[in-house]
Amino acid sequence: MVMPRRSLWPPLATLALLGLAALLLSVTVGSAAVSLGDVWAVARGEGSPLARTLILDLRVPRSLSAFAVGGLLAVAGALMQVLLRNPLADPYVLGLSGGASVGALAAMLAGLGGAVITGSAFAGAFLSTLLVFGLAHGTGSWTPSRLLLTGVVVAAGWGAVITLMLAISPAERLPGMLYWLMGDLSYSRSPWPPLALLLLICLLLLPLGRSLNVMARGPLQAAALGVNVRPLEWTIYLVASVLTATAVTTAGSIGFVGLVVPHMLRLVLGNDQRLILPACALAGGALLVLADTLARTMIAPEQLPVGVITALLGVPTFLYLLYRSR
Amino acid sequence: MTTSTPAARPSSVFTSASSRRFGGASGPAVAALLALALSGPVAGETRAASPCAIDDRDREVCLEQPAERIAALSPGATELVYAAGAGEKVVAVVAYSDYPPEAQEVQSVGSHTRMDLEALVTLSPDLVIGWMTGNPPEQLETIEALGMPVFYIEPRDFEGVSSAIERLARLAATREEGERVAAEFRDGMAALAERYADAEPVSVFYQVWDEPLMTINDEHLIGQVVSMCGGVNVFGELPRLVPRIDDESVLAADPEAILAGGMGEENRGWLTHWQQYPSMTAVERDNLYFVPPSLIQRPTPRLLEGSRLFCEQLDHARGKR
Repeated sequence: MVMPRRSLWPPLATLALLGLAALLLSVTVGSAAVSLGDVWAVARGEGSPLARTLILDLRVPRSLSAFAVGGLLAVAGALMQVLLRNPLADPYVLGLSGGASVGALAAMLAGLGGAVITGSAFAGAFLSTLLVFGLAHGTGSWTPSRLLLTGVVVAAGWGAVITLMLAISPAERLPGMLYWLMGDLSYSRSPWPPLALLLLICLLLLPLGRSLNVMARGPLQAAALGVNVRPLEWTIYLVASVLTATAVTTAGSIGFVGLVVPHMLRLVLGNDQRLILPACALAGGALLVLADTLARTMIAPEQLPVGVITALLGVPTFLYLLYRSR
Repeated sequence: MTTSTPAARPSSVFTSASSRRFGGASGPAVAALLALALSGPVAGETRAASPCAIDDRDREVCLEQPAERIAALSPGATELVYAAGAGEKVVAVVAYSDYPPEAQEVQSVGSHTRMDLEALVTLSPDLVIGWMTGNPPEQLETIEALGMPVFYIEPRDFEGVSSAIERLARLAATREEGERVAAEFRDGMAALAERYADAEPVSVFYQVWDEPLMTINDEHLIGQVVSMCGGVNVFGELPRLVPRIDDESVLAADPEAILAGGMGEENRGWLTHWQQYPSMTAVERDNLYFVPPSLIQRPTPRLLEGSRLFCEQLDHARGKR
């Protein structure tokens, strides 16, 4: 491989600092005024009960969820782009968020709430993964373009089902459903499962970095260079699916992060998967934490869907990087 | 209706989480004893020291003491709390809480579909009035987990309106006012029902919205008003509470009267739409009536006024036969 040998640590350390700064900011900013002094007092285990509730029960879990979801989506997006060798691939391109949305909306339509919605969304995502995988695998060969086509068509099918469900659902359930479809972190429960998954997957992917670099150049070259392509492709697909399913069930389908964060990082850091994947986890997390902070404070007490802000923040940044890189 | 019991009973709301934040770590029983010991002259015989009430999810919600800081998470709940005589205790409302006018001065915690929980927590309410199908269940669960008791209301019939007022009044220790308002509503509706019990039936189409065209079925609160006034809702048998229909089905049903709300309180724009079909009975006899939506579309005491208007308009239509 001709790949400029760069040290991995300086960019990762910078991004980690950025992520930490974003988390700190999101914990100190909110519609309720909490001073830095209060935050410090709470961090030391003191502070008023009100400040403790605000910070420990509301802000910290939500910020950590945002970080985890952003990281999961960005890593999943980067993996999908490697797997499909298509720059337009994002975590949702293969219909996974469609499956999850149908599951979640069905639960909401039935008037169920809370954990049932989460479980149903995960089941939908899992079903969609199996469906696409099974159909793309079929009896013949398994190529990225076949996988992509199957995924896109299945996604279109889910889209139709979602529209149908929205059309027949009672008016009073519509706002909740639309917020879910737009992506919203106020649904998130415990931040720990997605965070743990993010860390675990990043560690698991570390030894695969080299093979992924080769894969990004095409399956033939990868095979010629001694990579066992088929199992690797399956692994990437399954890992990306689990990441996306977890992200979607935590916070609904938040768009944009999974598509653009990997591209942004490639423009700045080059296309070395050993660096890009952990960098995606950090940068995706930081972006979503910042976006969510803005979403809940910009026109407080009204709350915006976070997907709006990720796009508003991400589009100009991405266009600037693209323009600069010519 | 169950009657209130002064002794605190354990309930779904009174779990460990709530007692941690709302005083008495040793639970409601001790708090009730304390309240009994301290309350002697203050508590009148109608004031329960620790009021309990059953909410519309059939859960018993008990408070250690009458609510002093109430958060109403729907415009309808706000109206009901004010009707129950506890308006001065409302510390938080949501967007569009425009009645009574005083409610507009109360701090809003965002839209009913997405509340700003931080703002709500900062106001430290000791009773939160939730809306079963309107508020996101996740957020209501979080509110309960943070130790704020949630009382769900969603009146589905006339009795539900008066009983919600009574129950809220019990929790806020404003029973006298609440029971008066509830009785007024109950008696007013009963009088209307009696007056129109034997009225000649009039076939009615009620338009909730124009694009998409929506109506209501017989189970809907407005549908119940239609029946009470001697109307026959032409779409009453449809399975959905708020069915979406088209012009054709209205033409086919050919109602004798069309009643509609509209955007705002005096916009008759939706009714002029029907004048393009002069062959319809309702248009021919000029039985197109406007009903201010705020009087009829919220399950609150104002429904009595809206129903009176509704019945009068149907009577007017009968007069044109």
